[in-house]
Amino acid sequence: MTTLDARPTIAAEAPDNYLTFKRGLLSWLFTLDHKRIGVMYLAAVLVSFFAGGVMALLVRTKLLFPGEVTWMTAEQYNKAFTLHGAIMVFLVIIPSIPAALGNFVLPIMLGAKDVAFPRLNLFSFYLWVLGAICAVYSLVAGGFDTGWTFYTPYSTSSQAGGIIPVLVGVFILGFSSIFTGVNFIVTIHKLRPPGMTWFRMPLFLWAVYATAIIQVLATPVLGITVALLVIERAFNIGIFDPSMGGDPVLFQHFFWFYSHPAVYIMILPGMGIISEIISVHSHRHIFGFRFIAFSSIAIAIFSFLVWGHHMFTSGQSALMNVLFSAITFSVAIPSAVKVFNWLATLYKGSISLNTPMLYGLSFIFLFTIGGLTGIPLAVLSTDIHLHDTYFVVAHFHYVMMGSALIAMIGGLHHWWPKMFGVMYSEFWGRIACALVFIGFNLTFFTQFMLGSQGMPRRYYTYDQLEGMAETFKIYHHISTGGSYIMALGFVITGIYLLHSLFAGKKAPANPWGGASLEWQCTSPPPHDNFSKTPRVGDCYDFSAVRWDEKQQGYVVDAEAHAASASSGKGH
Amino acid sequence: MTLSHSITSILSQAGSSMSSGAADATSIRSDEFWMPAGASNFAAEIDWVFHFINYINYFFFLLVVGIMVYFVWKYRQKGREVYARGPNHNLPLELGWTILPTIIVVVIFFFGFKGYVSMRTVPADAYQIDVTAQQWSWQFKYPNGATSADLYVPAGKPVKLVMRSNDVLHCLYIPDFRVKQDVVPGRYTTMWFQVDEMTGEEKFHRLYCTEYCGKDHSRMNQRVFVLGEVQFNDWVTKQGRWLEELAKKYPDDPSMIWKIGASRLYARCASCHTLDGKAGTGPSWGNYDGSGDIWARIQPGAVHKVDGGKPVQTLIGPGKEYETPEAYLRASILNPGQHIVDGYGNVMPTFKGQLRDPEIDVLIDMMKNLKEFDAKGKYIGGATAAAK
Repeated sequence: MTTLDARPTIAAEAPDNYLTFKRGLLSWLFTLDHKRIGVMYLAAVLVSFFAGGVMALLVRTKLLFPGEVTWMTAEQYNKAFTLHGAIMVFLVIIPSIPAALGNFVLPIMLGAKDVAFPRLNLFSFYLWVLGAICAVYSLVAGGFDTGWTFYTPYSTSSQAGGIIPVLVGVFILGFSSIFTGVNFIVTIHKLRPPGMTWFRMPLFLWAVYATAIIQVLATPVLGITVALLVIERAFNIGIFDPSMGGDPVLFQHFFWFYSHPAVYIMILPGMGIISEIISVHSHRHIFGFRFIAFSSIAIAIFSFLVWGHHMFTSGQSALMNVLFSAITFSVAIPSAVKVFNWLATLYKGSISLNTPMLYGLSFIFLFTIGGLTGIPLAVLSTDIHLHDTYFVVAHFHYVMMGSALIAMIGGLHHWWPKMFGVMYSEFWGRIACALVFIGFNLTFFTQFMLGSQGMPRRYYTYDQLEGMAETFKIYHHISTGGSYIMALGFVITGIYLLHSLFAGKKAPANPWGGASLEWQCTSPPPHDNFSKTPRVGDCYDFSAVRWDEKQQGYVVDAEAHAASASSGKGH
Repeated sequence: MTLSHSITSILSQAGSSMSSGAADATSIRSDEFWMPAGASNFAAEIDWVFHFINYINYFFFLLVVGIMVYFVWKYRQKGREVYARGPNHNLPLELGWTILPTIIVVVIFFFGFKGYVSMRTVPADAYQIDVTAQQWSWQFKYPNGATSADLYVPAGKPVKLVMRSNDVLHCLYIPDFRVKQDVVPGRYTTMWFQVDEMTGEEKFHRLYCTEYCGKDHSRMNQRVFVLGEVQFNDWVTKQGRWLEELAKKYPDDPSMIWKIGASRLYARCASCHTLDGKAGTGPSWGNYDGSGDIWARIQPGAVHKVDGGKPVQTLIGPGKEYETPEAYLRASILNPGQHIVDGYGNVMPTFKGQLRDPEIDVLIDMMKNLKEFDAKGKYIGGATAAAK
């Protein structure tokens, strides 16, 4: 790649980048470039997000009416909420940050040319596609109505025809996730550039690293669980179904042994993005680097020890409930530490309210609510009342959507100029963020009251007993109204992002004033990222970041940056 | 006054005096923002913990958002040169906000633990009610063998529910009592509570199924009535002998037993079996495939098919698997998986131990006279049906 050496480091008109390096459909389908794979993941995840969102809107629209409606039967409703959950968890949130954004950003942040195993990377993308095809096929085969949790024995005995196909899909998606995790662990261990010690590594990478550990250690359990379920359904071998000698509560243990850590597969990378966004858009050193970094690892470890808190009413022994309740609080501490550190990072910063930062601040607001409402669910006596009601639905949407997904959207806006070399409309970005934020809170805050007043989850109707509809209707109406506002926000986001691809202003290399490596290559990055492995200093040291009028962006004075790093001024 | 009118008036009397709470009973509601009305011995303590946590949450939420908004305003970007200098870390501060939340959650855990221990410690003298859950109905069985679809509990006495499921997971939840427990096939689960305030039969607490159990999950709702000791004992005695009481009331006309009793028994079948031929989870008792209603289609010469194309009459008759149509119907209720009507799956749970023989007799009598019932299972009499 000698031509690349000749390329000016800062070019008005970059001669080639990863988008134009090779052309044609096949150059994408067989690419080994982590950036292109990341972009393909991104497109696939966003399409899935759209599908899952449509399901959510159908569910919310049905709930405007307390009774039965002619346009959606109970069976269709059950399939719709199941599909919403399964799509959002397995096809959207789990791969969104690590596989889509992480794939793009991780090697660049490391100053590497690619991930450690580019072929494995492409393979895991095609496994994702195969898993998604299985999910689509399951719809043709009759759909599935088990809830995304696949609780036995309903999932063993349900007449819906699509259960085995979707379980096969989940199994395959699990492997996609495991391979991505393995790839990232090796990449972070082996491909860090000179000067980047563990404690100079961007916090996003710490978070992705902690996530990758969970992916590799927990996902096999999901694979085994769904494989056992397929075996039970297909061959009537009693593992979970008591009518064949199995134990349904065993399934819940297996399932949550994966799915609780999976909650952190979803939220940890989001926390990593927020650490980047808050620091870069406040233009000041992240506060308490080590506490944030170690809290990611602490969360990853504790996440394996708390699965039983999903099962306080399942019939597991009272002693186990007490132990799981106690251990659950251990996860609360590192989460709280992160929030306090982000707040302290704002202190004495130079805060610009760009769209990514608005999402970052929204995250702190929503994650605080999501985290705090987890407390009454971890406390035994109050959880008995709140379990399996809308209170739980509201809580995990604040964490899964209000936090993980909002972080993903924030990260998308943060790195969009880098990924595609164009700027989106700041004006519409802020409007859309405000709509999503307001809509989200209207949709889900009302569900806390629905739940504490007793409304159970997964209810098609709420009019059977006298007084039910009167108690719950108002909350359902506000919630559904909020979901439409949120949907409008996402539609606007989709429009201005697509518009920017064709008509957006050209993005400078460093539009926000970041100091980590991805802001030091061109936007979009060249095919092999850096012509020679860069030396790095402290990626949160902004003292060498200067405004450059000619480029309408920031530049990092590499000499000054490395010097300040080696003199230890950054810390 | 026609026969059907007199039966209707008898039915409404029977409804109020014998079977269940008033049809127009209203549910107990709360004016409180967060919690529903607290009726059980646990409610006060659980609510106290919930509100205690809430106030801590309000405090920390306002603290976090307040600081965030203040900093964002105070340290907003001015100009293009952006580098800002602030402290990188502060160990005492960071240790402080690690340790303080730890202490708070330990305290909160302890309160929750204390409340939970009393919920799991069932008093030895508790009044036991057996609960059977199945798709999609509840059955409550009292010590004297009486059963009901709505839950009746005595006031001022600890009540213990011993619960089992006939098919998939269910979960019994009474928000006003703050109790919830999964009902798991293949094992017994228990819960207990004590309610001191009576509801009478005019008001009720709501009971929900909160573990997703399929199509009519959201229809597994029942009412909970709390009666005073005398009233409860009276109710449970009558409830245990309701068919016998009916027989005693109409010694000259045994048909009154099924005319009055059928609708109440059919209510337990209604979520799957319609009477007017409309498709349901199970085959309609009415004519749905041209082979007549449920009684007509199992008579000699009928074309009704089971087990994948086998005419049902090959099973019924002298010397065959079932001697009489009645025997076939009885077996279908007690051992529903034995033969499956074409076009339907093997989903019906057994009613063994839930329906007594006299009750099954009433259901079979109803099937024999289906024309005299309306689509909801109410007796309307031969004359009205003919006029229709």
